[in-house]
Amino acid sequence: MSSTTLRRLIVVTLIVLWEALPRLGVIPELFLPSLSSTLAAGWTDAAEYGHALVVTLYEVAVAMVFACGGGILAGAVVGSLPRPRVLIMPMVSSLYAVPLVILYPVFTVWLGIGSESKIAFASIYGFLPTMLATAAGIQTIDPQLLLAARSMGATLSQRVARVIIPAAIPTVLSGLRVGGALVIVAVVVSEMLISSAGIGYLISRYRTILESAHVFAGVLLVLALAVAFNAVIRWVERRAAVWHTGTRAGRDAVVREVVGQAA
Amino acid sequence: MAGTLGVKAARVAIVVAVFAAWETLSRTGAVNPRLLPSASDTFVMLGNLLQRASVRNDLVVTASEVATAFVLAVPIGTLIGFLIAENRYFAEVAKPLLFFAFSIPKSIFLPMFILVLGVGFSQKVGFGFFSTIFIVIMSTTTAVESVKPEHLTVARSYGATSAQTAFRVYLPSMLPVLLEALRISMIFNLTGVILAEMYASRDGIGHQIASWGENFQMKQLLAGVLLIAAIAMTFNGLVRWVETRCSHWRT
Amino acid sequence: MGGNAMQPLANITPLKPAARAGSVQLTGVGQIYPASGQQVVAVSEVSFEVKPGRFAVLVGPSGCGKSSLLMMMAGLLRPTAGTILVSGAPIDVPDPNRVGVVFQEPSLFPWLTAEENVEFPLTLRGVVKKQRRAKAEEALQLVGLDGFGKRHPHELSGGMKQRVSIARGLVQDPPVLLMDEPFAALDEQTRMTMGDELLRIWAATGKTIVFVTHSLTEAVYLADEVIVMSARPGRIVDRLEVSLPRPRTFEMLSGDTFGSLRDRIWRHIRKSA
Repeated sequence: MSSTTLRRLIVVTLIVLWEALPRLGVIPELFLPSLSSTLAAGWTDAAEYGHALVVTLYEVAVAMVFACGGGILAGAVVGSLPRPRVLIMPMVSSLYAVPLVILYPVFTVWLGIGSESKIAFASIYGFLPTMLATAAGIQTIDPQLLLAARSMGATLSQRVARVIIPAAIPTVLSGLRVGGALVIVAVVVSEMLISSAGIGYLISRYRTILESAHVFAGVLLVLALAVAFNAVIRWVERRAAVWHTGTRAGRDAVVREVVGQAA
Repeated sequence: MAGTLGVKAARVAIVVAVFAAWETLSRTGAVNPRLLPSASDTFVMLGNLLQRASVRNDLVVTASEVATAFVLAVPIGTLIGFLIAENRYFAEVAKPLLFFAFSIPKSIFLPMFILVLGVGFSQKVGFGFFSTIFIVIMSTTTAVESVKPEHLTVARSYGATSAQTAFRVYLPSMLPVLLEALRISMIFNLTGVILAEMYASRDGIGHQIASWGENFQMKQLLAGVLLIAAIAMTFNGLVRWVETRCSHWRT
Repeated sequence: MGGNAMQPLANITPLKPAARAGSVQLTGVGQIYPASGQQVVAVSEVSFEVKPGRFAVLVGPSGCGKSSLLMMMAGLLRPTAGTILVSGAPIDVPDPNRVGVVFQEPSLFPWLTAEENVEFPLTLRGVVKKQRRAKAEEALQLVGLDGFGKRHPHELSGGMKQRVSIARGLVQDPPVLLMDEPFAALDEQTRMTMGDELLRIWAATGKTIVFVTHSLTEAVYLADEVIVMSARPGRIVDRLEVSLPRPRTFEMLSGDTFGSLRDRIWRHIRKSA
């Protein structure tokens, strides 16, 4: 049997089990609501989920502006200038080891339980890894390209606009992907912790009243969001693939990308 | 990475400056001291906290959860990682699935753990395990695959036994990657456990921090944040140091 | 056979631009740079002149400073001593109107097509698209890449990429072309083909070419004159005329003249190492 077939078989089996095991009573519905009841829960309360989704999306969008926008900019600066880079990078890498989620209560004290605290938290959460990824990526830009541009009489602004920026696009997209995914997680998690609205809040609320089907439906929704975001960026990356000179081994890219997902 | 003395001094200066700014902002009232207690007050509180039995107890609880999850995740994850790396077919089947598992955020599954395991020790260990296992698997696979086939060929051509190859080629080759994996896994582990504690728990330092937050006890909250940050960074630095000692032969 | 005696700079009367166009003159050129706390002398007291339309090759052991000399001739590096004149005027910043540069790495921008890469110097200068495109096509035709203009670099072989790089160096029709080991990254067969191609282009355009290599065979095969440099600090230890007839052929490689020229260069290099 080919590996693809086996894999598909495994996935199908898991889905079938998801439906069958709870229905047969092998696993209590409390622990694992059947696939059908999960989807039904989502469907019947679609309006509620939709409303929560809007809140979450809003928070994600704003936080992404700060985290990705700021992270890419900061990463570009730090990556291009050797002195700040050498100075800051090890410190930032150390910071990476700290579970940033402990900062969230601080934000709720300062900014309340509304969207602001989540946006602030998610911005910080996504900023650091995006900055690190962008800085690392900027360094992979082939210096020979800049030498060639210089030999053709390009001024500094021409070098920046016509060489550095186009060459940095794969890096920027990658930073966006990493940062965006983290922002989504941070927003949902903070909504789960302390909130009055949003998908995370909805999931938590249903958990406290032991409505497993609704909990799972909410989680599926978040998953769908994360997967959709990833897919969109990947699509853009593939379109821009002509830029990719393959300076990094595919494997390294995966490791980096996973490490970038801190949760 | 090591820096020259000047660079190290500059870094220290930056840290000092940050704390100084914090102190000033609070003391001068530029920021409401109830929202931002001064740095000095926070440090005093930190010392205070470390002497409280309840806090020490919380730390022990968290530490034991982290350790347990780690001790479970590492061997199991390493084994699976090895299997994937060594068996081509298994790898082809599993890798895309694992890749998908890596790329989805795992924190959102926390409520499910609570539904199943309640709010006790096992829930936190379980979630910590869940947060860590995937990165361990992936790192092991990468580590095994990073052993250069040329080295293995040389070993084989000189008649090395499996055990010798394992210890004298695989192990030294993989050690730096494994140490790095250890460090990163611990980060994921700690994050997972603390999140679980903050979300729904009766004890543990994460729970305590959430509690301080709910009660607007800013001094304790900030002190707690500093405490955890310090512990995390120290451990991280320690493993990093060991890594550099072992990796001197790597380019 | 020997080096040209250089006129002291003060006595040079500027001749009509056409007569000097495409000449390269180095006078007492030196290059010192700091490295790990010491001053390294890369190049010392180098003087020579390449007359317009000639094919000169700089050859020498690794680290003899020949690449530094080329960078200085391209205006990418300032000499710490001496002067460099291209077409009678000093060069201290890159000037693609006077000097085209081809590096060992083709360094094509991967996000541009071949023709966009070739016209890049013109884009920098703000030349309109129609004109740019026309010139780029001309240049691509010259290097034998007619019809490959719309390809991206990753669709081209190593040799083709280097040809695009050469076309880029030629697009502004500079009288002088500087080439720093342009074929070193190619496999041997491609290298030989490219060498013939280059001679064809040179014959068609009549430019002055200063070519750096560490391959003695390549040097003798391509050159009108070979300038031999010593190991660091780089100094000229010999200059010789290659009197083999043109067009050069593969058979000449096994001839006596070729062999003795190459031996002579090798002896000088070995002695100075």
